[in-house]
Formats: sequence, C-alpha cells, structure tokens
Amino acid sequence: MDIASLQNAARTVRKTILRTNARAGQGHTGGDLSETDILVTLFLHVLNLPGRDPQNPDRDRFILSKGHGVCGLYSTLATAGLIDAAWLDDYLTFDSHTPGHPVRQKTPFVELNTGALGHGLPVATGLALAAKRQNRSYRVYVLVGDGELQEGSNWESAMTAAHYDLDNLTVIVDRNTLQLADRTESIVGLEPLADKWRAFGFDLHEARGNDIPDLIRAFEATRTVAGKPHVILAHTRKGAGVSFIEDRAEWHHRIPTTEELERAYAELES
Amino acid sequence: MTAAPTAPTNATTAPTETPAQDLRQSMIDAFFQAVDDGVNLAVVVSDSTSTAKLAPFQAAHPERVVNVGIAEQSLVGVAAGLSLGGYVPVTANAAPFLVARANEQVKNDVCYSNTNVKLVGLNAGVAYGPLGSTHHAIDDLSIMQGFGTIQILAPSDAVEARRMFAHAFAHEGPVYIRLDNAKLPVLHEDGYRFTLGEPDRLREGAAVTLVAVGSVVHEAVAAADALAAKGVDAGVVSVPSIRPLNRPALAHMLRAAPLVVTVEEHSVHGGLGSLVAEIMAENALGSRLIRIGIPDGQFAKTGPRAAIRAYYGLDSAGILREVQNARATVA
Ligand SMILES: Cc1ncc(C[n+]2csc(CCOP(=O)(O)OP(=O)(O)O)c2C)c(N)n1
Ligand SMILES: [Mg+2]
Repeated sequence: MDIASLQNAARTVRKTILRTNARAGQGHTGGDLSETDILVTLFLHVLNLPGRDPQNPDRDRFILSKGHGVCGLYSTLATAGLIDAAWLDDYLTFDSHTPGHPVRQKTPFVELNTGALGHGLPVATGLALAAKRQNRSYRVYVLVGDGELQEGSNWESAMTAAHYDLDNLTVIVDRNTLQLADRTESIVGLEPLADKWRAFGFDLHEARGNDIPDLIRAFEATRTVAGKPHVILAHTRKGAGVSFIEDRAEWHHRIPTTEELERAYAELES
Repeated sequence: MTAAPTAPTNATTAPTETPAQDLRQSMIDAFFQAVDDGVNLAVVVSDSTSTAKLAPFQAAHPERVVNVGIAEQSLVGVAAGLSLGGYVPVTANAAPFLVARANEQVKNDVCYSNTNVKLVGLNAGVAYGPLGSTHHAIDDLSIMQGFGTIQILAPSDAVEARRMFAHAFAHEGPVYIRLDNAKLPVLHEDGYRFTLGEPDRLREGAAVTLVAVGSVVHEAVAAADALAAKGVDAGVVSVPSIRPLNRPALAHMLRAAPLVVTVEEHSVHGGLGSLVAEIMAENALGSRLIRIGIPDGQFAKTGPRAAIRAYYGLDSAGILREVQNARATVA
C-alpha cells in the first residue's frame, strides 16, 4: 500500500477510535491515538499475514502489551478488513467480541489477553524463541507503553531475549512521555531509555512514531541487523492527530463530548 | 477471638436521606486523621493516585506520598521497607494488580515477615466490568486467606470504612482492606463501632439469612426488603471482617433460618461462600446453603458491572429469585 493510502487509513482509524470511545462512554483515547500510526504501519504494511488467516501458523504475531489501547487495535483491524467493523458497535457491551482489553477467545489476531501491563514482552519472547527453536519464519512484534516499562518484567525478558539472540523479535515503544497520571519523567524517570535498551543487548532504532514513512524506514532498518532483538523507540504524542487531545494527561481515559467529536473530525478531515 | 456468640446487633434502620458516599473519601479522611493523630504514615501508590483519589492528601502532605511508577511488585516491597524503616505504610492501587502481580511480595515481604503494612485493594470484584478479567479481582479474599498473619476486611459503607481504617492504623501488623469504588448509601448509624472479627447483623429474619460482604451487602438488603414485601422474613448479616472472624458468633446467627444464601462479588470458591460452608459444616447446622457469586472455575463475563451482577444473580432481583426458587423446592 502506498504512503498516502496508509495515511488515509490512519485518519479513518482515528475517527473510528473517537467515535467508538464516545459511543461507549469509556475508553483510553490518548493511548489509542498515540499508537495509531504504529498499528496502521504494522497491519497494513509490515506484518506478513498469509491468506489473512488468523490461524495460519506462519503468520507474523503482534501483541498489544499496552492492552488499554485496545480501541486503537480494533479500529485498525476493522479498517484493514481483518474484523467485522460492526463489532465496534458492541465495544464494551456485555459479553461482546470487543471488550475493553484484548481477549484472544473473542477477537481474531489477538494473540494474548493483555491489560495488566508488563506481560507482552515476556510472552513475545517465548513466542520468538519457539520460532527459532522450530525453524519457523514468523516474526514477533510487541507494542509496549513507555510508562509500562516501569514494570520490571519487561527488563527480565529483555535480558532473556538478548541472551537467546532473538532477532525475530521487535519491541516498539510508544514513547509519548505520559503515563496514567503524569509525565513518566516526573513519576519514575525512564531516561536514558535508548541507552538502557542498548545496554540490555538490543538493536535500537529511533523513529518519529506518528510519521508513517519514518516508521517504515525504522522497521526496514531492523531487518538489516542479525543476531539481536530489535527495539524501535517510537517518539509519539499521546492523543496524536487532534490538537486539543494531544499531550494531555487527562485524556488518558477521557472521551470526547459530542461537540469535541465534531471538532476532532473537522481537524482530521482538513 | 472469644467464643461468646453475643455479637451486638447493629442498627437495622439506615439513617434516612444520607447521600451515597465514595468509600475512597473515607480512606482519604482516615489518612488525614492518622497524620493528625501522629501516625507516621506513608502512602505508597503505583501510578494510581487518581484511582485512589489521593490528590488532596498529596497536596497537603507531599512528603508522605511515594509513587513507585507502574510497578506493583516494587510497590509492596517498598512499602515493606518503609515499615522496617519506621513508617506506617499504606498502599493504594487497583486490587487485581496488588493481589495478582505482587502476590509473592504480599506473601513474603508483608505477611510472612509480618511487617506493619496496610494494603488497600481498590475496585475489587468486577468493578472494572467492561475492562475484563485482567482488571477483575474475584480471587482476592481467597488469596489473602491463603496467607498467614494478615487481617482481611471489607467495608460496606463509608461509616464502616472510616472505622476500619482507624482500626488498621491502630493495629500493628498486616491488614488488607477490599475497598469498593461504587458510591454507596450509608447503612450504619454514625455511632456504629466496627468490632474486629464480629459479623454485623443488619436484619433479623426467620425464613432465610442472607450473608454478604462489601458492596453487595446493599443488594442483600434490597433483596430482604423485596422479600419482606412478599411476606418472607429475611435476615441479613454482613461479614466485614473475613479474618479474624468470630465463627461461633456467625454460626449462632445462621442457626435460626432453614436457608442460608451467601452473596459475594467474588468467586464462590475460597471467599465468603466457602467460609460460610465451613462454618455450617463445622457446627452441623444442617440447613440449606446457596452460594451466589462467580461460579467456581470461571472468569467473570465482561461488560457493565450491573449487567455482570445481573448475569450471576448478584443483584437484588437475582437474590430474590434464588430465595424464591429454593423455598419453592423445599416446600
Ligand atoms: C499491571 C498494571 N498496573 C496498572 C495498570 C493501570 N494502568 C492502565 S494504563 C496505565 C498507564 C500506562 O501508561 P503507558 O504505558 O505510558 O501507556 P500510554 O501512555 O500509551 O497510554 C496504567 C497505570 C494496568 N493496566 N496494569
Ligand atoms: Mg505513555
């Protein structure tokens, strides 16, 4: 897919996120918008999904470790035609296909039931190790929040992934500098974050995380390095794409009012 | 515990026109009070300041708040360290991440080491309804009962929550408080004294005894009202103190009725229902027991909390239905 089509898809995903959260009356708008360009790049460009079959054993695997960004995932899957768009109407309703965190028994292409932070990377490490040991060609991608990196479990498996030379594993960090209540650097600082990943033995790439061409460049760069797990430090803006939502802590779990929804749509369409 | 089955019966009439109150406000009030009383308090959170509604306390006493980031194992470990260093630490974060994520820290650093840490499990049960099982805590009472030393408490209203926190700060040793985020009407008179270990008889009733814990006590009270309207004399007992528990006192309260129904927003395995079953068996009560909760071996459904309660019969309508069905089959 060409760049303009990907960017267009990202606009559709953003509108879907805003509309779906607004209708449900609950959601994680900031984190959904922050990750949108990463998910669109992955699902519409990077991931190898043979036959678009969620059961195909050779499919690339994606794990949304920051599971609260689930509406971003559903909106991307719907825009990519990988799930029924009508399921979004049931977002958060009783026993629906689209609950408030990813559930693999409910939604295709969800590989793990996330929502408790700090679980994606350990499981992705196991999944990548399984591919290595069994000579399978699939790659494993995991998206983590930056605040999420305060969970020690990430760093335990970062050591393991490097120890086993898992170059079929790529971590993407949604580095929006905000967590639930405040800036990461005022709660418990992560910097120097790039140095940390390098020190843990990762092949590190930085990217503008709301810039699809730059993300594509970074994903391609990871393919040129063998023998190490990869990490893309994606510098994003929480709430990216809508000026009055961007970079504001309160939008972690705020949802747009009807009037805000209209203004957001106008911005995205201009 | 003394064996005397003479627990006081608390007022059965709710003070009228008390607005529903957020139990977290009682917690924050208790924090302020503790500091005023000279308790060397440290409040430890894991990016959960808003979950705990901590802002006013943090503004007043920033030097008494520690935010460890999104790191629950560290939350509990740091709290244990603060207590060894002379503080009275209280942790406040979402119950699922406390109980599940920091399980070994709770076990070893708090319970086994018997450090003076108070653990508050916020929004337990299925309070986080649509967010799913990662965010539900339907196992906290069970897991905490698996550990030694720790006291396990669950208030049903703001008055009781205030008394419970006062107890926790006065007591030297681990305490777990399961604290709901629902705005709950007040069941107890202002003069109510929370007595550690005592079951709290809210209604007398000869036909059936409803036994409940935490916020679903209100569903039980509403069900008792509905049953009364149908001429069925239903008693209600709240169990705010899961451990310690005056078992003879509870057995005594259960002796009267031929039917006992437990109500908990928790797995029926290992929580209140299991506890009541033990007590009934050990005291050879011989009456019928129905346990309402999340069935054994299942995760709860996802969806709005009220819909989940309705699905499992945990709302007043469901309790009413169970009681009527049971009475129909007995008769
Ligand atoms: C183990 C665990 N602890 C706490 C939470 C509550 N929580 C949900 S989202 C969030 C903040 C996440 O921040 P970040 O990882 O930076 O994500 P983003 O900024 O992309 O939304 C927190 C603390 C959780 N879901 N899981
Ligand atoms: Mg973030």
